[in-house]
Amino acid sequence: MNSLNELQLDALTEVFSIGAGRAALSLSEIVGDEVRISVPSVQVISSNDISSTTLSLNSGRFGAVSQNFSGPFNAEALLLFTEEQALKIVSDMMDSQMSLEELAEFEHEAMCELGNIILNACLSAMADILNFTLDSSLPNYTVASADDILMRLKKNTNQPYIMILHIDLAIENQRTAGNLVFLLSSASLTNLVTHIDQFLDPIS
Amino acid sequence: MSELAIKHFDMEDISNVINLGLIVIDADSRILLWNNWIAKHSGINEADALNRPLEQVFSEPMSPAFLSALKNTLAYRLPVVLSTALHRTPLPLYNAFEKNQQQSRMYQSISITPIQSRLDESCSLIQVTDSSTSIKREKMLRSHSEILKKEATTDSLTDICNRRFFDAHYKMAVADAKRQKHCLSIFMVDIDFFKAYNDYYGHIAGDNAIRLVAETLKLQISRATDIVARYGGEEFVLVMPYLPQKIAEQFAEKLRKAVFNLAIPHINSDPFHQITISVGVCTGIPKNGDNLLNKADAALYQAKQKGRNQFIFLPLCETEEYLEQ
Repeated sequence: MNSLNELQLDALTEVFSIGAGRAALSLSEIVGDEVRISVPSVQVISSNDISSTTLSLNSGRFGAVSQNFSGPFNAEALLLFTEEQALKIVSDMMDSQMSLEELAEFEHEAMCELGNIILNACLSAMADILNFTLDSSLPNYTVASADDILMRLKKNTNQPYIMILHIDLAIENQRTAGNLVFLLSSASLTNLVTHIDQFLDPIS
Repeated sequence: MSELAIKHFDMEDISNVINLGLIVIDADSRILLWNNWIAKHSGINEADALNRPLEQVFSEPMSPAFLSALKNTLAYRLPVVLSTALHRTPLPLYNAFEKNQQQSRMYQSISITPIQSRLDESCSLIQVTDSSTSIKREKMLRSHSEILKKEATTDSLTDICNRRFFDAHYKMAVADAKRQKHCLSIFMVDIDFFKAYNDYYGHIAGDNAIRLVAETLKLQISRATDIVARYGGEEFVLVMPYLPQKIAEQFAEKLRKAVFNLAIPHINSDPFHQITISVGVCTGIPKNGDNLLNKADAALYQAKQKGRNQFIFLPLCETEEYLEQ
């Protein structure tokens, strides 16, 4: 299992775009303002090839929301924003007068919710379109440096494949870019591809 | 849970003493579990809740976000969190529930997780925690920090900005004016013959005079961008952006007149025998190396030399020779 062909990647991009649309809708309801989320590209690479550029991880600290999934395929999903962007998103969502420092108390939980909404929306889109359901853990939020994150991704030998979704999030004209990363084992990737092929089959 | 643990504890006992709200509903949203914590904070007994649809149990509505989260958990079997930060009070729960008493809803953090019943039915577990304490703590810390912030930047005698605030604000105002290429005016104000006033009328009267002058200067500014600060002793400074030279001069005269009109007697101040001020003004678009404050100070010195109770204007862009003349 090396990588996905273009057609399979297109199908995944479509699935996740639908998920992103659902997440945007839920977030708009909470924020009371238009939220737009798009997934411009999906990449599947081997964790050996991962670098700070593939994840646009420059310097600084990152907020990571993680959830573990199990079912037809197992995966760990990580939603990554820079810490500064994460705080900005939360403060936009809360629409408050609080300064970023004052937000710290709530940031953790609110970021969990934001990540949960985006991750669940992507999963529910997969469930609807690719026809499988996954179980999931509750989200967990951690703050880590780019090096910590890369090390963690590379060290994870059980899940040598990494699916990266680049995510654009816009709230009240504030644009933020993040990454949604799925860590997959080879068996899980094979299963995912099987489901994509089943979805593509009636079309081709 | 191991068999041993099941023998030793009844899960129902635990769910009833736990300091956490627990509700379990089935796929049709009928209530299967309603623990003591929820009963206590909702004012609804377990007996009145069990087997009824969740939507019909509360007399007040649940938040739309909670309902759609619940729907999603039931449809996709995915766990959901509702954070206090974004929802505050999704369920009609109260801290100490007493009837006939107006209460505000408890701040809540909620998570909803899909679980499987022994009969293999899809159910949802709703966990509610009280986040009022952390919100209260946050509010208290914020109000403390606001008070301290204000105290740290306010002059205790006059209640206008202090030197510390001025130093920081001046730096920012100059950087701003440089970047956006707009003009900035600095007014240095000094009470004339103040030492003589203190010597004759005493320090308490001196303090009162400083307070009155500060208050009067403050009354002259109205834009949010303008500040007046106590620079030291009987000296004040005003920072005002966007004023053309002519307007800055008119404003300096307005300051002088306002203090003059206070008509505070000062027997040792010739020739008016009342408290007056001298004002040094400098206006310009600052460039690297320019020092508005020094020029305003030089202007103030000239105003003193020329007989006090007046203002002197110096433009920022003039060469040093202009100053010497």
